[in-house]
Amino acid sequence: MTRPDAAVRLRRLLTIIPWIVDHQGSNLDELAARFGIKVAELERDLELVPFCGLPPYTPDRLIDCEIVDGRVFLRFAEYFARPLSLTPGEGFALLAAGQALLAVPGADPSGSLAAALGKLAGVLGAGDGMAVELGPARYLEPLRAAAEAGERVEIDYYTFGRDELTTRRIDPRAVFAAAGQWYVDAYCHRAEDDRLFRVDRVRGVRPTGERFEASSRGGAGATGPGGSGIFNPRPTDRRVTLVLNASAAWVPESYPMESVEELPDGRLRVVLVASERAWLERLLLRLGPAAEVLDPAEVRVEAAEAARRLLVRYG
Amino acid sequence: MADRLERLTNLVAVLLESGRPLTLEEIVERVPGYPAERESYRRQFERDKATLREIGVPISLEALYAFDQETGYRIHRADYELPPLDLSDDERVALHLAVTAVRLEGQVGDAGGGAGRDALLKLGGTLGAAAPTLAALPDVPALPALFDAYRRRARVTFTYRGGPRRLDPYGIVFRNGHWYVVGFDCDREAIRAFRADRIESGIEPGRAGAFERPDRFDPASALRDEPWRFGDEEPVEALVLVSAGQAGWVEADLGGKAVAERRDDGSVVLRMAVTNREAFRSWVLGLLDQAEVLAPPELRADMAGWLSALAGSGAGA
Repeated sequence: MTRPDAAVRLRRLLTIIPWIVDHQGSNLDELAARFGIKVAELERDLELVPFCGLPPYTPDRLIDCEIVDGRVFLRFAEYFARPLSLTPGEGFALLAAGQALLAVPGADPSGSLAAALGKLAGVLGAGDGMAVELGPARYLEPLRAAAEAGERVEIDYYTFGRDELTTRRIDPRAVFAAAGQWYVDAYCHRAEDDRLFRVDRVRGVRPTGERFEASSRGGAGATGPGGSGIFNPRPTDRRVTLVLNASAAWVPESYPMESVEELPDGRLRVVLVASERAWLERLLLRLGPAAEVLDPAEVRVEAAEAARRLLVRYG
Repeated sequence: MADRLERLTNLVAVLLESGRPLTLEEIVERVPGYPAERESYRRQFERDKATLREIGVPISLEALYAFDQETGYRIHRADYELPPLDLSDDERVALHLAVTAVRLEGQVGDAGGGAGRDALLKLGGTLGAAAPTLAALPDVPALPALFDAYRRRARVTFTYRGGPRRLDPYGIVFRNGHWYVVGFDCDREAIRAFRADRIESGIEPGRAGAFERPDRFDPASALRDEPWRFGDEEPVEALVLVSAGQAGWVEADLGGKAVAERRDDGSVVLRMAVTNREAFRSWVLGLLDQAEVLAPPELRADMAGWLSALAGSGAGA
């Protein structure tokens, strides 16, 4: 086990001391649980407290720490009666987490969380200039309810990459927001495999009246939101090599790339995984002359075909 | 060696309780555990000071007396102490739920488990059992400094796309999976949004209280979703036909007001105010065969020209 360094321990101590000053006689076990540390760690920190205080460090100037029957009492620690104010990082993290939870559809905009965030923003001087949006999700509620109850549902799902709408029965396990989208992690009976579905591409949800065993944990999103579960290229997926002008520099920032290499002329050579043709057509049509297809050659032909197909409507 | 934690704790107590700035020599004399030799204790104190600043203890360096050259250190109690929030039990529980259900990714965890949890503990909350993550937000190194500047109303300087920017930060918004800082761009003299993860430098804050945030400024609407409106070109009104298969969600995206016509086959004609032709074209092409620019002729011709060039370039390949 690595020992936490002095900074971590000091931060903890400056939080624990005010708590005990405010809650004299707190139980050691409860304190350790509250602050997420082992009792031994807590005892080690508290052993030090009687050596702390003010010059000339005579008994009346040192913090008096007594542990009686597992209960902790502190005296002469008035100057540590309040916790250290929040750092910008702490304040931001707490506000962001709270606002994110408040952005989940169904959250009460005038409940306890909103009230707590209002007080926090007030103390931090943060006003109302912070906003967290977790992405549109019309069918979030029925999917969450189904996941919670272990109910199999039928969904209409738009596959962006293939530009097609399909109907499938799924066993939704969990619903979560990551990378700006809502996802449902489910077993798909059509694919006979685990799949992650984007909730904003769900076009309909219907109950089937069937239930599934909620015990089948794991699955496509088993690594958790933001983990590798969201985009897992298969070895058989097509790799496409493009050379991008500066105006297309947003591409590697927006999509997962297998490699990105800056060429001597400042352009970027990227290799991306394009499992679906429609996705690639879309990208190449949008990029136009800003992208040059190096490999494979048939992609160049496909892009031109797509352009001709759309052009028919403008004839 | 005396315990470093003990020395740091005493240092905080001494600087908090001293009614005036203390010189380095006074500090070393009052706080046990520093080496005797000047160069060594100076170095040791520098390390201690860095540790205290790391955890957010506000040590300030001030002149000992007015007009005095000599400086000393102190901690102002008002800066050090967390103001009372008077959270109710329900409110504390709600914050606890938020910190467990929402994860900031890439955050350097420590014994407490992340900055949000450290904050919660200071507020008298408790660490309960872990819950499944409901939402994950990326953590970006620039965010704490941007947040601090935003709340203190300090102008910031940073490098973005290779150039220096000066910004009065009015707000911070999370959208489409990215954090943005929104504010007044002092060089362009306009409201601009910057993606926090694309900032290429540290954040240099200026003095606090340098600007006023406009009344009822809504950062979320300042960060406009519709990229074809995010431009400086002469505005034109475009009509776009979207087929039935995509009509529903495009309408949900743009809002019902944008619908100029509903056709019997389920398709819709959308009215869009365009000030960025390139972004507009890109959006329409994203719909592939499901969308067609109907008007004005100028934008229709622009699309036809773009597609012709692409159709031709592949022919010889």
